[in-house]
Amino acid sequence: MTLNRRTFLATGAAATAAMGTPMILKAQPAEYVLGASLPLTGPFATAGQLVAPAFALAQKMFNDEGGIAGTPIRFVTEDSGYVPQSTLANYQRVLATEGKACVGYFADSTGAMKLIAPELKGENARLMGSTSFASELANPQTNPYQYISGPTYQDQFDILMQNIKAAGGSKIAIIYSNTEFGRDPLEHGRATAERLGLEIVLEEATKPQGADIPTHVTKLAQSGAEHCILQGYVTGVWPQLIGGARQFGLPIQFHGTFWGMEKLIADRITKEAGPFLAGYQGVMPYRYFYDRENAPRYEQYAALSKAMFAGTPLENYMSTWALQAMCGLELAMKALRDTAEAGKELTADNVAESLSGISDWDSGGFFGGPVSMNNNKIGTGRVYEYAPDTGLFTPVSDWLST
Amino acid sequence: MINGNLKATYGADERVLNNRNKQMFVFGSIILLSLFPLFADDYSVLMACKMGILLIAVVGVNVLTGYTGLVSLGHGAFVAIGAYSTVIFSNLFSGLPTGILPFIVVPLAIAVSALTGIIVGLPSLRVKGLYLAVATLAASFIVKFLIEQDLFAPWTGGIVGIDTPVPSLLGWELDTKREMYVLITALALGTMLAAQNLFRTRVGRAFIAIRDRDYSAEILGISLLRYKLMSFAISAGYCGLSGALGAYFFARILPEQFGLDLSLELVAALIVGGMGRTLGPLFGVVVVMLVPELIKISMAAATGGSLELARYTGPVQEIVFGLLLVFFLLKEPLGINQITDRILRSANRWPFARG
Repeated sequence: MTLNRRTFLATGAAATAAMGTPMILKAQPAEYVLGASLPLTGPFATAGQLVAPAFALAQKMFNDEGGIAGTPIRFVTEDSGYVPQSTLANYQRVLATEGKACVGYFADSTGAMKLIAPELKGENARLMGSTSFASELANPQTNPYQYISGPTYQDQFDILMQNIKAAGGSKIAIIYSNTEFGRDPLEHGRATAERLGLEIVLEEATKPQGADIPTHVTKLAQSGAEHCILQGYVTGVWPQLIGGARQFGLPIQFHGTFWGMEKLIADRITKEAGPFLAGYQGVMPYRYFYDRENAPRYEQYAALSKAMFAGTPLENYMSTWALQAMCGLELAMKALRDTAEAGKELTADNVAESLSGISDWDSGGFFGGPVSMNNNKIGTGRVYEYAPDTGLFTPVSDWLST
Repeated sequence: MINGNLKATYGADERVLNNRNKQMFVFGSIILLSLFPLFADDYSVLMACKMGILLIAVVGVNVLTGYTGLVSLGHGAFVAIGAYSTVIFSNLFSGLPTGILPFIVVPLAIAVSALTGIIVGLPSLRVKGLYLAVATLAASFIVKFLIEQDLFAPWTGGIVGIDTPVPSLLGWELDTKREMYVLITALALGTMLAAQNLFRTRVGRAFIAIRDRDYSAEILGISLLRYKLMSFAISAGYCGLSGALGAYFFARILPEQFGLDLSLELVAALIVGGMGRTLGPLFGVVVVMLVPELIKISMAAATGGSLELARYTGPVQEIVFGLLLVFFLLKEPLGINQITDRILRSANRWPFARG
């Protein structure tokens, strides 16, 4: 064959098409992947195992809605055992196996978020949500790709203290687990208390599990506190502390933050040890799952749960922990969809820009009204109170923002 | 004895790699390790680096437990001290040129770990076996407790951890995992060779004598005080180096990385691999780090990545790994090193008697 102008152009066009097609295919994968690490084993296995089904629900729901601009999504969920290095290894493995198809990740602890944060650069950067509400993460300058799907622990302390002040309280105690989780809002809490004119009469650190309850309760009794904020607990210690105080005859009002506000735990305590959690209050960023009035998104979850988890306890109730994961995934999906709709590639920078631009977002039920991402967090929440007879947490404040 | 090797000089007999099969195994492994970063993905490089870091620490535990016969459950503390010392000294000497900083900081970190090892090793003069294990266990808790204290937080970062520096070797910034792989692999091979050679010296032979029967060793004129503490110091020094590399490798270190789990992992790797053998730590680390990952990957493949089954596969992975460890120990109590020994010996004698 002689090479004339026509054959040269035809060959060139064919070669471009042959080389270009895979490039286009590569830029637009057949499916997008969102990775996740969950503590399916280890100290927080209870929470991890309750959250895991939410990912199956989310995958079905988001794909039924068309995935990301028509491309389906798939979750790759793995166990971390609540070890930050395992989460890092899981993250690296998803990047290695899925490459650019992986457009986001969900980590399972503050420690993991901090360990991975410096790795999020260049080709290795992805949008990253987590179970954490650590205040340090809410900083787009240092952590541009990481976000918090609610208020930080500092914000939650602010909301609680505002509510205590509004209720006429003056003397507060803070009991916290001696972990990063427990200590996170302490310094900020002191400043807020001073600003609001509240006196902190006791700051007491406990073990995160198996704490010496009588000693802590005795100190609490001696402090003369009217209100006590509990921080840094999930399933244990906080109920025992409240039970110990009630046995001691202390009329103190107890308050918790997000991880100490799960109805399943409160119900179990009530069933096993009696109604001593009556009046227990705490800050919750989201509406509880049973509060579905004008919450179309929650209704969708409920319908799907009924279909997908029939015959299990998850059929009728989604835990606050699962709701937290769902909220994180909803935010990630919104950012990813907004980026795709704007015709941009789903790079970490583009998606992070879309995320920080989320404003007046109607979450469909999670929050009291439209919310905005501010410093990669949503600083809003409401105080709820537990009633053992109904087994429900009901709101005792309006939605408070920081 | 038919061994298939003619040794014509004492020098040939004393060589570390004293036959062709060993040479092929070791040099072949070095060539593979050199080529590895050229074709491996980031995840594989991450795993290889983590294995290299752990290997150095297990070599350290092997010096103490495998060769000197002293059991320790506190070696995670020495890794922690190596890691935190690296960060603290790097911040302290931040005025110095960054290119020479690791050459000052890492030896200092090793020295601090070794000194701590001597202090922790003091009870070994009075107690042995399980009692010593419990005494060293305290080190693990005390060091982690001290790191977490607010009092030391300006240096250690306290409970929230601290960011680590990027090492620069005479201007070569090791800011990628592949570059760190080169450093970690070179040091891991170097430490294994150093450990092998240690036991061809007077000091190493004294360690072995103490392991085999300490009072006999004392009667032979070996100072138990001196050599037991020396063993602790060398062992802790290795762990210190491992910690220093860990600090350089991970962008941030947190106290929870250095808990009791790490100390137990070090001992488990040594037992599985083979105590008192040069390659024992290597095989142990491969099993302890790779097998759980392989189980995880095969479980995910077997269940098709099913989200519904994810809550069950997590605990099942741990059970399978535990059963595998028990199976290994039942079938070969002397560790995997013994299995590879048999294979190498058989290859060496081929086509004559095997076993």
